[in-house]
Amino acid sequence: MEILQLLISGISQGCVYGLIALGFVLIYKATEMVNFAQGDMMMIGAFTGFTYINLAGLPFVWGVLATIATMAVLGMLLERLVLRPMIGEPPFAVLMITIGLGFVFRAFAGAVWGNEPKSITSPLAGGVFRFGEVTVGYENVTVIVATALLCAALYLFFRFTRLGIAMQAASQNQLAAYYVGIPVKRIFTLVWAMSAAIAAMAGILVAPISLIDPMMGFIGIKAFAAAIVGGFGSLPGAIIGGLVVGIAEQFAGLYGPPGSGDVSAYLILLLMLFIRPEGIFSTLQRKKV
Amino acid sequence: MSDAFFVAENLNLSFGGVHAVRDVSFEVNQGDVFSIIGPNGAGKTTIFNLISRLYDVDGNGTMRFDGDDITRIAPCDVARRGIARTFQNTELFEHETVLQNLLIGRHVHRKTTFLSEMFFTPSVARQELQFRKSVEDVIDLLDLQSYRNQVIANLPYGVRKMVEVARALCIEPKLLLLDEPSSGLNPEETEDVVFWIEDINEELGATIIMVEHDMNLVTSTSNRVMAMADGGVIAIGSPAEIQNHPDVLRAYLGD
Amino acid sequence: MRFIFKTRYQYDIRIFKHGGQKFWFGLLTVAVLAAPLTLDTFYLGEISLVMVYAIAGIGLMLLVGYTGLVSLGHAAFLAIGAYTHAILITYGVPFALSLIIAAVFSGLIGAIVGLPAMRMTGIYLAIATLAFAFIVEHSIGHMQDLTGGFRGMAVSRPQMFGVDLGAPVAFYFVCLFVLFACMLIAINILRSPVGRAMIGIRDSEISAQSMGIDLAKTKSLAFAISAAFTGLAGGLFAHKLGFLTPDTFTLLLSIQLLLMVVVGGLGSLHGVIFGAIFIGILPQGIAIMRDSLPPAISQIAGLEPGLFGLILVLFLIFEPLGIYGRWRKIRNFFEEFPLYRKATHKRQKSYLRTERVR
Repeated sequence: MEILQLLISGISQGCVYGLIALGFVLIYKATEMVNFAQGDMMMIGAFTGFTYINLAGLPFVWGVLATIATMAVLGMLLERLVLRPMIGEPPFAVLMITIGLGFVFRAFAGAVWGNEPKSITSPLAGGVFRFGEVTVGYENVTVIVATALLCAALYLFFRFTRLGIAMQAASQNQLAAYYVGIPVKRIFTLVWAMSAAIAAMAGILVAPISLIDPMMGFIGIKAFAAAIVGGFGSLPGAIIGGLVVGIAEQFAGLYGPPGSGDVSAYLILLLMLFIRPEGIFSTLQRKKV
Repeated sequence: MSDAFFVAENLNLSFGGVHAVRDVSFEVNQGDVFSIIGPNGAGKTTIFNLISRLYDVDGNGTMRFDGDDITRIAPCDVARRGIARTFQNTELFEHETVLQNLLIGRHVHRKTTFLSEMFFTPSVARQELQFRKSVEDVIDLLDLQSYRNQVIANLPYGVRKMVEVARALCIEPKLLLLDEPSSGLNPEETEDVVFWIEDINEELGATIIMVEHDMNLVTSTSNRVMAMADGGVIAIGSPAEIQNHPDVLRAYLGD
Repeated sequence: MRFIFKTRYQYDIRIFKHGGQKFWFGLLTVAVLAAPLTLDTFYLGEISLVMVYAIAGIGLMLLVGYTGLVSLGHAAFLAIGAYTHAILITYGVPFALSLIIAAVFSGLIGAIVGLPAMRMTGIYLAIATLAFAFIVEHSIGHMQDLTGGFRGMAVSRPQMFGVDLGAPVAFYFVCLFVLFACMLIAINILRSPVGRAMIGIRDSEISAQSMGIDLAKTKSLAFAISAAFTGLAGGLFAHKLGFLTPDTFTLLLSIQLLLMVVVGGLGSLHGVIFGAIFIGILPQGIAIMRDSLPPAISQIAGLEPGLFGLILVLFLIFEPLGIYGRWRKIRNFFEEFPLYRKATHKRQKSYLRTERVR
């Protein structure tokens, strides 16, 4: 039964990684930019939720909606002010800028909310399901369910809506997209807004499980590993990758030498990069000359 | 087994469901100017990519150059054996000057080791001056003197194509693969292309394989032509034969 | 406006392009040699640190600016060099030899890290270096017997032929000498075939291959050279710190190194010097600013990294060519006056075109 317990924890932790990885992949698919600050955006989302729910006293559901809305606006501002000037610049420059943003977010969070860990009062906290000898917290189940729903929604969006297809077009050949009348700039803004909103959701979902503090964004690096394992251009890959990393971490932590739980994500990452850098669901091919 | 200068036998390549090259075989003799023509999507550039070893041949097709089997060699060995190529959409080193681009073309003639280069020993200096002189000869051949120190990103398209060829010539190739040398050029520039293809073939003694759409250019420079369509060979022969070949006309003009 | 008239091929490969450059360099040499006579030991110490950063920066610039391979974990090489050197001198290996061994060892590790670089493109490589850095930090912490683990390890003062090189003036000259040597080697690399091969890889891997450049070997070599320079800097860094712990060599330090290279100006060795000066004086600058800022801002724990981040973002948006780029523009303005046109340096509007092809 221990294995089942580990699996459940692994899956729910993996879903958190997966959600953040989803944000990465979304931005990458649409703009070919890698947003290293995704984890820190999750952190800001969590703190925003804390502000609305704990500090301002909003009811939980309203607080969540307000957080998502606020973060979407933040994503839009970020895109207009910081990322738009960088379109067409080498990927390295964009990576560096998002790394810089990460630092700014952390300093900001430390200044505004302080460095002590906080938590969000949530109606889900504390309760558990029991299946025989396995206990699963409400919040774990919520994470898993929310992730699944989000994935389905995004899949449908990209597959069947005009906006989704337009997004993919804009990411493949911007100039051509302009020519056929796609409002490229507005799409990019939308993509960043969506990504920020997803990060906010991840932040709120994770808050009951682990406390929030300015450094929690470092989880983003593990989410990165998840995105790479799954294949950077693939949305389902992001989730699968997250599950792989999450589950492996749990098992390594229990059965491996001490400290391997922490390092396991990086080791998996390196292993993947050596064996199959395109990830499980690869979308990468070489440049055609 | 033929002992012509360059022999390709049973070349096949598929990308997923697309059979880009099917059973292509041809021979090129030393000193030839051999053109490959065909509609878009016929697989012409793919053949170049196979020769440059950017792709692997499917199945057991082979390529032999100057007596050696080059079917499985590493891409960086292709230049060392004396095969140079240009790219359809110029692949130059954008942030460098023309001179730097050409000097990189001399890389296969490098005789110094990293250790000696670290300290820039006299032999390294001598090699650099030698490179510089050889590169200058190519610049003279193609009249690129005024562009020597300009960064590629600032150059017009016609000049870039010339630099692309010049860079290939710096390898001192025995076989030169030209991918659509006249695309994007006006008629006057295209005439210049005829002249320098002649120069390269006669003065430098390079065998040339050329992918081209402009039939005038093909007929004025080539002594043999291969027509392709849908990945396969339709006909191989002299320019006159090909221009009147019923299968070729059908492929180009439709039934 | 200066026009360089070349009459011999020699002029293309010389280090100094014209007399003016020789003059300014001469002036700089005199100033740098005379500094200990006029400056206080505190400033000498700061300049020594800047020089150490610059040596590491040369390594990183060769990798990132010239070969186009991004490393987010270069602090790991600094750590490897520092610890190797510190451990060797506790075993009695002479100072100079120990430094060289540390550099070579670091270079070997760099070559190993660089081997898989062949199979990875840009962003993946960056992540791999990040993972590598974490693993190195983790390992150093757990090799308690050798490195003192997380409790740390003291570094004895450098000595050569009985002379204590740890004194501020002596250390200053040691760093100066090493920096000068490294600069010379870097310049030599860049004007030789191997340097051009590296640049070729940066600009177009496919045509670099078609020119006969062995991608795997050259990338590995680039990593090795970069790691060696950084390892060398690490050895000197160890002496400057006096005491080594694994948490000196964090992600923040790697980002600082990258900051140096980016803000200084990617693709030029001048940029390394500018960048090193920048990150050398930045902490002092922040400390001074702190006094004049309201307590609400100045008390933030993460202010320094936050400011680093902000500066990085601002530079990348407004001056991607870095300090050296801005310097060149200013110089061009004066050189071409009154014919200077701002449009000379205007960035081309570029459109995204995916490199991912199904």
